[in-house]
Amino acid sequence: MNPAAVADAEERRVIIRSVGMKKIYRRGAELTHALRGVDVEIYTGEFISVMGPSGSGKSTFFNMIGALDSPSEGRVFIDEVDVAQLTAEELAFLRCRKIGYIFQSYNLIQYMTALENVTTPMAFGGVTPDESRKRGMELLELVGLKERWFHRPIEMSGGQQQRVAIARALANRPSILLCDEPTANLDHKTGDEILSILEKLNRERGVTIICATHDHRMMNMCDRLMWIRDGAIERIARRDEVEVQLASIE
Amino acid sequence: MKPIDVQPQPLLGFARTLRIALSGVKYRLFRAAVTVAVITVAMAFLMNILAESLIKRTVADTARDQIAGMRRIDRWIARLSIPQTPGEIIQQAASADLDDDGRDNLRALGQMADDEVDDMITACVDAAVYLDFFDNLDYGRRRVLVGRAEGTMIFDRLQDAAFRDAFFQRLNDMKTVRFVTEPDRFTTFLEGWPGLRARIDRIRSGQTLAIQMIQGHLDGRSLMEALREADGAFGAVIRDSGFSMSDAEAALLTEQVGQVADNALIEEAMNRAEIRQAIAARRDILPGDVTPALVWDMLKSDDHAAWYLGLMNQHGYPVANWSPDTINDLADARAHAFLLKQAERATTGTGGGLMGIGERMTWLALVSMLVCAVGIANAMLMSVTERFREIATLKCLGALDGFIMTVFLIEASILGLVGGIVGTLLGLLIALLRMLGIFRGLLLQAVPLPELLAASVLSIAIGIVLAAISAVYPSLRAARLAPMEAMRIE
Repeated sequence: MNPAAVADAEERRVIIRSVGMKKIYRRGAELTHALRGVDVEIYTGEFISVMGPSGSGKSTFFNMIGALDSPSEGRVFIDEVDVAQLTAEELAFLRCRKIGYIFQSYNLIQYMTALENVTTPMAFGGVTPDESRKRGMELLELVGLKERWFHRPIEMSGGQQQRVAIARALANRPSILLCDEPTANLDHKTGDEILSILEKLNRERGVTIICATHDHRMMNMCDRLMWIRDGAIERIARRDEVEVQLASIE
Repeated sequence: MKPIDVQPQPLLGFARTLRIALSGVKYRLFRAAVTVAVITVAMAFLMNILAESLIKRTVADTARDQIAGMRRIDRWIARLSIPQTPGEIIQQAASADLDDDGRDNLRALGQMADDEVDDMITACVDAAVYLDFFDNLDYGRRRVLVGRAEGTMIFDRLQDAAFRDAFFQRLNDMKTVRFVTEPDRFTTFLEGWPGLRARIDRIRSGQTLAIQMIQGHLDGRSLMEALREADGAFGAVIRDSGFSMSDAEAALLTEQVGQVADNALIEEAMNRAEIRQAIAARRDILPGDVTPALVWDMLKSDDHAAWYLGLMNQHGYPVANWSPDTINDLADARAHAFLLKQAERATTGTGGGLMGIGERMTWLALVSMLVCAVGIANAMLMSVTERFREIATLKCLGALDGFIMTVFLIEASILGLVGGIVGTLLGLLIALLRMLGIFRGLLLQAVPLPELLAASVLSIAIGIVLAAISAVYPSLRAARLAPMEAMRIE
C-alpha cells in the first residue's frame, strides 16, 4: 500500500482539480451533455480507478483532465494551472512533460523501433539525442524490454507493445499517468505484468495514476475508485470502503 | 503550493524532423510509390514538351541555312521571272544580312552610287518598321487611319498634307494603339518618301529590263534548263543584265539544278514499265507497290545503286558518265532534304509560352499539373486520414502543430523530388528518342545541352513545389487534428 495514500487526503497536494466541469457536444440542433458538472480532486501520488459503462462520459472526463480537450463550462486545473488559459505551445509542453498517456490500443508509431518510440517525446522535450538514448534504454530496462530495443511494434506481442507504451509515457518523467483501459486488449497473464509495472511506478516513483478500467484486479491495487454514469460522478470511494462489497460480489 | 512552471515547447531540429518524415515515407512505400507515379507522369509530360521544343528550336536554328540553301532554285527563278514589288525591295534592302551580292544588286539594277545605296538602305530600314506596323494593325483600325491603302501605297496616300493631319489626329484618338516612332520622325520619313520611291522605281525598271534581256537569251529553253549553265554562259547573261551573282552562288545553283535534273531522270526511269518490273522482281513485291520513296530508300545501298545504274544504261538513259556513287549521293541528298523539310515542318509554331513551348502546350502543361496537384492532394489527404491515430498520438506526446505540418510538407517534397527526377529523366529520354526518330542525323548536330539541363532543373523544381503546395491543405488538416483522437478506439 502506498504510504502516502494512507495519510489524510486533506493534507495532500491536489494535482488535478475540476470545478463544475461540463461538456456539451453539439450536433446540429441536438445537444449531447457528455459531462453535466463534475467536481473532483485528485491528489499527488494517488492511484485512482475510473469506472463507468460506455457512453457514461468516462472518455470525455479523461480528455478533460488529460488536457486533450477543453470543457464547455467550468475549469480544469492541472498542478494549479488553469488548462483553458494555456497557449497551444504551453499545452504541448504540458502534454509532453507533465502527463504520460497510455492507450488501450498502445498507439505506438509503427515505423519506429521500440527505442525510437520511447525517445520521441524526449525529442519534443528538447533532450539531446545521446541523453535520450541513455534514458530510453533505462526506461526499456524498467519495463523489461531492454534486449528488444530495436524491434518494431509489428514484431512484438500486445503485452510487449503496451510495455513500450508505458516506457514512452514515462519518457519525460511525468507526474501524472493517464491510462485508458490499459489491459483491455491483453490476456490475463500479460495484463498482470502491466498492472504490476503500474503498481511499481505508483509506489516507487510516486507517479499519480488515473486509470479507466473494467479490470477487477486493478481495483485491488488502487487507492480510490470512481464511478461515472450519465456524465456525472456517481460515487467516489476509498478502496477499503468498497472492499467489503467486492468480497460479497465475488 | 507551487504551481508548475509551464513554458512554450521547444522546436524540433530540422534534421530530426527530416528523419521522422523519411522513416514515415519508408514505412508507407506503396502509397508513396503511387504518389510518386502521379508526379512522375506530370513531370515527364512537362519535361517532354520542354525538351522537344528546345531540341526543335535548336535544330531549326542549325537547319535554317540549309533550308534556305534548298530554296536557292526557287529564289532565282522568281527573281529572274518577275520584278519585285516595292514592299519586297524594301524588305530585302532592310534585311540586316544584306550581303555584298545584295548591295551589288541595288547598285547595278538601280544604277546608283555607293552612298546612294547606303542612303537607300537606311531609309528602307525605317520604311520596313512602318510597313510592319501597318501590317500588324487590324483591318478596322487601318481602314480608319489610312483608308483602303495597303503596303507602300499608304506612304503615297500620306503625301497629301490634309490627309496626313487627319491621320495623326485619328492616331492620337486611338488610345490603345502605340505608334512605333515619334510622329515627327514619321513626318520626316514621309517627306523623304518620294525620293525613296523614285529609287525603288528605278530598281524595278532595272529589274524589268534585266528580266526582258534574260528572257531573250533563253532560246526556247525553260529557265530551269538554262540555269544548268549558271556557272557558264547563262551566268554571264545574268550578270550582264544587272543581277549580281557570286561565283560560289553560281556553282551552288548549277549543282542544285543539276541534282534536280538527275533526280528527275532517275524518277523518270522508275516509271518505265520494264524498270518498274525489274525493281519489283528484285524486291519481291508487286509492280504496283513500287513507289518513289521505296526506290530512293533502296538506292542508298551501293549494290542496288550499281544495279539500277546498269538498268538505266541498258534502257538508253544518258547516264554514261555516272557512277553508282552518283546515285548514292543523290539518294542521300534527297533523304537529307526530306529531313530538312520535316524539320522545318516540325519546328513551325514553336515560340511563346513557357520556355518557348507555345501557348497551347503551356496550357496543356498547366492542366496536367493541375490534375497532378489534385492527385497529390488526394493522396496526402488519404495518408492523413490513415494516420489519424498516429498524428494524434504524436500530439499527445508533445508535438507542436508546426512539427506535424512540417513532417507532411517534407514528406510531400520528398515525393515531389523523387517523382520530379524520375519524370524528368523519363520525359527527356522520350523526347530524345522521339526527336531522334524525326530528325535523325540533324539531331546529333544540335543537342542543346545547357538548355536541356536548365529545363531539367526547372522541371524537378516544379515537381517539388507542386507537391509541397498540394500538400498544404492536407498537412493543415493533420496539424489541426485534436489530440484526443488518439483515445478513439476503432
